[in-house]
Amino acid sequence: MLAYLARRLALAVLTIWAITVLSFVIIKLPPGDYITSYIAQMSASGGFVSEAEVQALRREYGLDQPGYVQYLRWMTMVLHGRFGVALEWKRPVSEVIGDRLWLTMVVSVAAIVVTWALAMPIGIYSAVRQYSTGDYVATFVGFIGLAVPSFMLALILLYLGFKYFNASIGGLFSDRYAEAPWTLAKVWDLARHLPLPTLILGFAGTAQLVRIMRANLLDELGKPYVVTARARGLSEWRVILKYPVRVALNPFASTIGYLLPYIVSGSIIVSLVLGLPTVGPLLLRALIAQDMFLAGTIVLLLGVLTVVGTFLSDLLLLWIDPRIRLEGKQ
Amino acid sequence: MDRTRRRVTRREILQDAALAAGGFALAGLAPEVWAQTPKLGANLIGRLEGPELVRDPAKWPKRFGEAPMLAELVKQGKLPPVEQRVPQEPLILKPVREIGRYGGTLRRGFTGPGDSENGNRWVSADKLLFWDYTGNKVMPSVAQGWLLSEDGKSVTIYLRKGMKWSDGQPFTADDFVFWYQDIYLNKDLVPTPNADFMINGKSGSLRKGSDTTVVFEFPEPNYLFLDILAGSTSMGGGQALWQMEGRTMGAYTPAHYVRQFHPKYIGKDEADRKAKAAGFDGWVAYIKNRWDWRLNPDLPVLTPWKTVTPINNPSWVMERNPYFYEVDTAGNQLPYIDRIVMTLAENLEVLNLRAIAGQYDLQERHTGMAKIPVFLENRDRVGYDLHLDPALNGSDATLHTNQAYSGDPEIAKWLQTADFRRALSMGIDRDQLNETFWLGIGVPGSIAPAETVPYSPGPEWRKKWATLDVAQANSFLDKIGLSKKDAEGYRLRTDGKGRLRLELMTAAGTFIPQTQIGEMIKEQWKKIGILADVKEHERSLFITRVRSNEHQIDMWANDGSEVLFLFPRHALPVDPVEANLGYPIAVWYASAGTQGKAPKDPELLKALELFRTANGKKVQERYKVAQEIWKILVDQVYSIGTVGQSPATMGVRVVSRKMGNIPERQINAQHCRTPGSSQPSTFFFKG
Repeated sequence: MLAYLARRLALAVLTIWAITVLSFVIIKLPPGDYITSYIAQMSASGGFVSEAEVQALRREYGLDQPGYVQYLRWMTMVLHGRFGVALEWKRPVSEVIGDRLWLTMVVSVAAIVVTWALAMPIGIYSAVRQYSTGDYVATFVGFIGLAVPSFMLALILLYLGFKYFNASIGGLFSDRYAEAPWTLAKVWDLARHLPLPTLILGFAGTAQLVRIMRANLLDELGKPYVVTARARGLSEWRVILKYPVRVALNPFASTIGYLLPYIVSGSIIVSLVLGLPTVGPLLLRALIAQDMFLAGTIVLLLGVLTVVGTFLSDLLLLWIDPRIRLEGKQ
Repeated sequence: MDRTRRRVTRREILQDAALAAGGFALAGLAPEVWAQTPKLGANLIGRLEGPELVRDPAKWPKRFGEAPMLAELVKQGKLPPVEQRVPQEPLILKPVREIGRYGGTLRRGFTGPGDSENGNRWVSADKLLFWDYTGNKVMPSVAQGWLLSEDGKSVTIYLRKGMKWSDGQPFTADDFVFWYQDIYLNKDLVPTPNADFMINGKSGSLRKGSDTTVVFEFPEPNYLFLDILAGSTSMGGGQALWQMEGRTMGAYTPAHYVRQFHPKYIGKDEADRKAKAAGFDGWVAYIKNRWDWRLNPDLPVLTPWKTVTPINNPSWVMERNPYFYEVDTAGNQLPYIDRIVMTLAENLEVLNLRAIAGQYDLQERHTGMAKIPVFLENRDRVGYDLHLDPALNGSDATLHTNQAYSGDPEIAKWLQTADFRRALSMGIDRDQLNETFWLGIGVPGSIAPAETVPYSPGPEWRKKWATLDVAQANSFLDKIGLSKKDAEGYRLRTDGKGRLRLELMTAAGTFIPQTQIGEMIKEQWKKIGILADVKEHERSLFITRVRSNEHQIDMWANDGSEVLFLFPRHALPVDPVEANLGYPIAVWYASAGTQGKAPKDPELLKALELFRTANGKKVQERYKVAQEIWKILVDQVYSIGTVGQSPATMGVRVVSRKMGNIPERQINAQHCRTPGSSQPSTFFFKG
């Protein structure tokens, strides 16, 4: 058992190291660097940069050094707990991400809650009442939910919201509160802005989850133990919720690992379309601007969260499923 | 427009979907609006106007007024009275319509810390000299006067007596001397001398005449330097623009403030210690951060508004400078507006939709031409006006042929053949492009700047080689030896390697849809038997490929080329940063022939030689030189113009009806720092 855990842990550390190398390489892959993207941005927006400035900036940011030196410099910093200064934002990376991190978590957690709260009952219902009208409706809506790209839904809802409801456009706060310190009024303002992104983000996930729940549950419903439970005279709700639903939930437990990174940067495109001040758009911008420090740190963070999440769900499965525990011992 | 019903093809549905995704559901609105107002564009382009300078001392105000928020501070004893804050001879502006009211917060949108120009342009009144609202005449700004010596070797500028920094400290010639001695001549800060402060490779110098006079001197005649001081250049562009983002130019800096970070005054150890304590690698990085007006609210400035919440936040907030040097004709200190709040929009669609919904009071940046119909549909309901400000440059989508291309000898040969380029140009149907992508508002033609610009070679050069003439284009191509065609009518290479394929490089995410324009040109070129591959690149890859000389033809706007000598890079290959006509040639020019490769084409060489002489020529002669250069460029068609003088770049202006002193049309040009020449300090809220 301990050996199993130790091995998983060692593998996790190795994976994280591999992630740092990979994320560095991926960010460095496209030709050019932060400076070329800076020139591009300036010249496309009516500004300009001189050749002397280009050289000076490259030197200043250490971009004139070979790739492995840049990687080592970055790693040294990371190991010291410093993540550098975001090139475009001119602020420490930890601050730039920190500003947005918890707002991101609010949105994602809300989306997950909505997804689960909607998907579970609907999934159970359509499995139990298979081929009923309700099941067909749920299936139909579900497939539409799967098929419509969520950014498209976001665009349409945004436009309709503006045209018919005069809703404020995008973002998580009204202008008035964006810069204001935290008060009850600001929290209320946030709460008023949450439903739209939450629903859009939740919609596709809900559809998917309904299908999975339905399929899993259908597998279980026909099994003898369900028949036995019914024969013993348990109430219908108890039969379904206590046994088959629990078993059907198993696959969800094993994918809990992927929820962690999702909480930090789920749905980049929807956030972008809706103008949410979350980590997703930040990552996209950092990649386009080839901001090594910011993009690297976010990718690293996501990698670490995935690894930690997987580790956690391994533990969870270990606890739930004795078969895995036995395998670990051998 | 054909309004009869017909079957909608699958392709059209897909196009609509793409439009809805990218262009914010314009679908369904556009046709109606166009049908009702065929001359829509023309109706939205008003009269060019702007605030005027009051030069007659008899009309100068005798008393000064100030904003209530400042009067309050004066009453509390926190601020000296307004008479002591404005210079003894302030800059006096006659607003475009009326004396404004004080107060209010102006709401705008910006796209993040890279969007510095969004604010820089609004505070460009910290330039030494400026251009008036027509863009053709130099006017005083921070400097109240200037003297260009007869021999062109020196320019003296006269500062305003009693002028102060935003912290109340005096602004004098010493601020220039400090910049020159301790920044410009400091090798750590400025490793190589700046081209704007040189003449024929020789450095200029700066000296103090008196507390209020500064003299710029050159070893050779440099008549252009006056324009350089007035232009958006590294010498005349002002402190805000030229001391941000690590820049070190601008000709002056608040010596009393910057000194505390400079090793000469506090010792290198102390300077580095301060930097480390603030989280910077060394004093160079720290001092550059401290003099960046967008990042440091403590920095003394001369601008109408100063930063209170830095640009790297969700909102970029500016507040009035209580010591600003401009007043209106009634003696009221400008600006009228108290605060500017820019809120971060994560993407351009959100920004445009917010503008459409009236969440901005004045937005001329990032608002797109393609959104015009939606702006119009909502303007009365929401309460804003839409103004279009056409630019002065000849072509918003210019096809630049790489004159130094060497990747494929045959292609290179054709790109360097004048009649080949002329044929390509005559194979383009500019009217179709104009109707499709410029909503019919643009002016089709060559790359030459608008005729109102004194550098213009004249109206006859607008059409030269720049009208659709398929017959002549075909005969040109046949004549130069490209007469063989394949079964589909495409011309064949002369080296027997199949079709002649040209690669046309476009950039993604630009103000106009370059790639779609390229695709339409590709279709049009079929008629002259030319096959083009349109390849879209992410912007920074685009720049990278140009800098490694890999492109055959690329597409970019020629904005800024209307002031040829101040911003030549979109017309001539003289600047390696952007060298669409050939990177090696630009390196050759910029290094005075020591590196890179000279152009083979004698006409291009001649244009470059003419350009080199311009600095030493007086203004009237300089006009002639520019006209000569434009004639060569238009006649040789190194760059193929399509449609220009349009509002594509910063020319779609959405203005709340609550605002006053808004020019019907404002000059839209880089050297005017649009809206800089309209003097945003005179804009106000009617209440």
